[in-house]
Amino acid sequence: MELRFYIVRRILVLIPTLLGLTLLMFLLEAMIPPALLEIPYFNPKSGISRTIQLHNAAILLGLNLPLPLRYFKYVWLILHGDLGVMNLAGYPGSVTLAIEQAFPNTIQLALFATILALAIAIPLGTFIGARPNSVADQVGRVFSLSGFAMPAFWLAVMLQIGLGKNVITGNPFGVFPISGSVPDVPIAPSFYTNGITSPTHIPIFDALLHADWSYAWGSFMHVVLPTLTLTYGILAGILRFIRAGMVDSTYQEYVRTARAKGVPERDVIKRHIRRNALIPTVTVMGLLFASLLGGAVLVETVFNYPGLGLLSVQAAINFQIFAVIGSTLVFGVILMVANLIVDIVYALIDPRIRY
Amino acid sequence: MADVNVTGKMKPAVTAAKKRHPMLEDFSATFKAFTRNKLAVVGFSITMVYFALTILDYVYPAYLGVSNIDQVTSWVFPLTANPPTGPFIIPSTAAATAPHWWFWFGTSLSRQPILPIMLAALKTDITFTLEVVLLGLLIGITVGAVAGYLGGVVDETLMRITDIFFSVPSLILAIAFVYVLGYSLNNLLAALVILWWPTYARLTRGVTLTVKSMKFIEASRASGASKIRIIFRHVIPNVLSPSFVQLSLDLGTVVLILAGLRFINLPIISPLIPELGTMINDGNSVLVGGYWWAVTVPGVFLLIFTVAVNLMGDGLRDVFDPKLRGL
Repeated sequence: MELRFYIVRRILVLIPTLLGLTLLMFLLEAMIPPALLEIPYFNPKSGISRTIQLHNAAILLGLNLPLPLRYFKYVWLILHGDLGVMNLAGYPGSVTLAIEQAFPNTIQLALFATILALAIAIPLGTFIGARPNSVADQVGRVFSLSGFAMPAFWLAVMLQIGLGKNVITGNPFGVFPISGSVPDVPIAPSFYTNGITSPTHIPIFDALLHADWSYAWGSFMHVVLPTLTLTYGILAGILRFIRAGMVDSTYQEYVRTARAKGVPERDVIKRHIRRNALIPTVTVMGLLFASLLGGAVLVETVFNYPGLGLLSVQAAINFQIFAVIGSTLVFGVILMVANLIVDIVYALIDPRIRY
Repeated sequence: MADVNVTGKMKPAVTAAKKRHPMLEDFSATFKAFTRNKLAVVGFSITMVYFALTILDYVYPAYLGVSNIDQVTSWVFPLTANPPTGPFIIPSTAAATAPHWWFWFGTSLSRQPILPIMLAALKTDITFTLEVVLLGLLIGITVGAVAGYLGGVVDETLMRITDIFFSVPSLILAIAFVYVLGYSLNNLLAALVILWWPTYARLTRGVTLTVKSMKFIEASRASGASKIRIIFRHVIPNVLSPSFVQLSLDLGTVVLILAGLRFINLPIISPLIPELGTMINDGNSVLVGGYWWAVTVPGVFLLIFTVAVNLMGDGLRDVFDPKLRGL
């Protein structure tokens, strides 16, 4: 099968899952008493009477409709980019806008953590995978296991103590800011306030594109500690799978052939063993990404990092129903897209999977 | 395999008393394989110590809810050499006491010794975790075995439902569920059970598909056993092992979810009820005062449990699923 047909089929399979996800979110929302859904829409300053405002909200959300029709109304609103309203200090009134602001920050964190984890895990996994049952292997095993078991929020606090700025007085390693995602500057750079010149919406990339080096450096220092915390969690999984893949493919016929025909040992490990070990690793990336997003919720809260996780936690604590449901939905969609990418990458590197 | 000698022949005379149940035989073989992995045994032992501490705390609570260092009624003090009598002399400037012979892990800012609170917190956490995984296991195994055995539409529907649950990270979905159900420990329990049964259902269904084509199922079907009887008497006892492995690993995940949600101050239980996440959060808020023990000690206590559970789960997986050995 050609790759593009495979991709199309894979996207079509996504549709039922997406519908199921919206259905689940809708059922959660439907369990809330309708009166509580109307109240966030009430604006005392608008001059329109409360009764009429609440009635309008009920019409907008389809609260007067039977449940199945209300579901269609819900999907219709999502398709039009309306995830409801919220009233929370520091956030815009529309959930869609709030998510729009938080989304790039979370993507930045997830991207950095994934890249860093891969950058560490692939060489390290190659190293210990080529020496099974050595001391390095045992150390790696304990290291990866502690990564699985580590409470992310506690690790975040520990990193704040050890490396955070102004946590412990006189700590020479305390150089990283422990709160926020961008440096405090008296006037925010124009590209940050002016949406037109903010092409990626990710602070570091935007600053780099505009050659604002100090702002980029400041933003980078802000993401170091959250990234390290998240990396530790997923590094474990990747390392484990690369190691297992390496050990598995060491005894394959093609490796023996390569050795027999005199390929240098370095090339055998790099080109024959590791390449095949990376294939199963790709498949677990989707699962690991899920745990990464879950960890992001806790880590963003500890570091007060304005991403989707912080939004969903703030909303949950301050009883903003639409923001809770909306951010959960977006997390689900991110994970689905991540899984889609993983599957496509898998199909790209391993043609057998397309059939 | 005690009844089979080296040559593979049955021993000629086996008395009825000596013959053990085949399932017991199976268990002892599994146990032997498990004990070969030393790290797994360490993990298992530590987990058992934690469970024992939980049970001990139910029998003889270390923390009665009001104790601060001036009025302690805990069973920790008999273990120390000098049980404190009379008023303490603590510098009035220090609100919290650093680790001390009387207070092994120091006291919190409200002058409560950390160790007894931590043991009470462990009770909350472990009880909750066991409830979640066992209820999830019960539902998941039943649903998975029924769906796998019946196949067809039932199976297809189940798979689609579990797909939906796996499409959102469980911690985030847990927040949404417990929000909608209302903040309380029992509602979080319900939310996590709803989120956890699909894992076991999937695993069980997978094994059921292979088991159901085996001869002994065919034989019982031929002998006229009802579907319900086949599922509960013959299928389920043979599809438990992957779920058990998953369960032992999930102990760590669930306890981290409860502690994590409490750490971020989700009002699931009152902050006055001891819980490890709450303790870490409390410690975090006074960290800048230099009270490092208030956040470090509960965190390490939690970390030891999750590491132990993971070691145990790894060992179990090695035993039950040789394909994944060394992974």
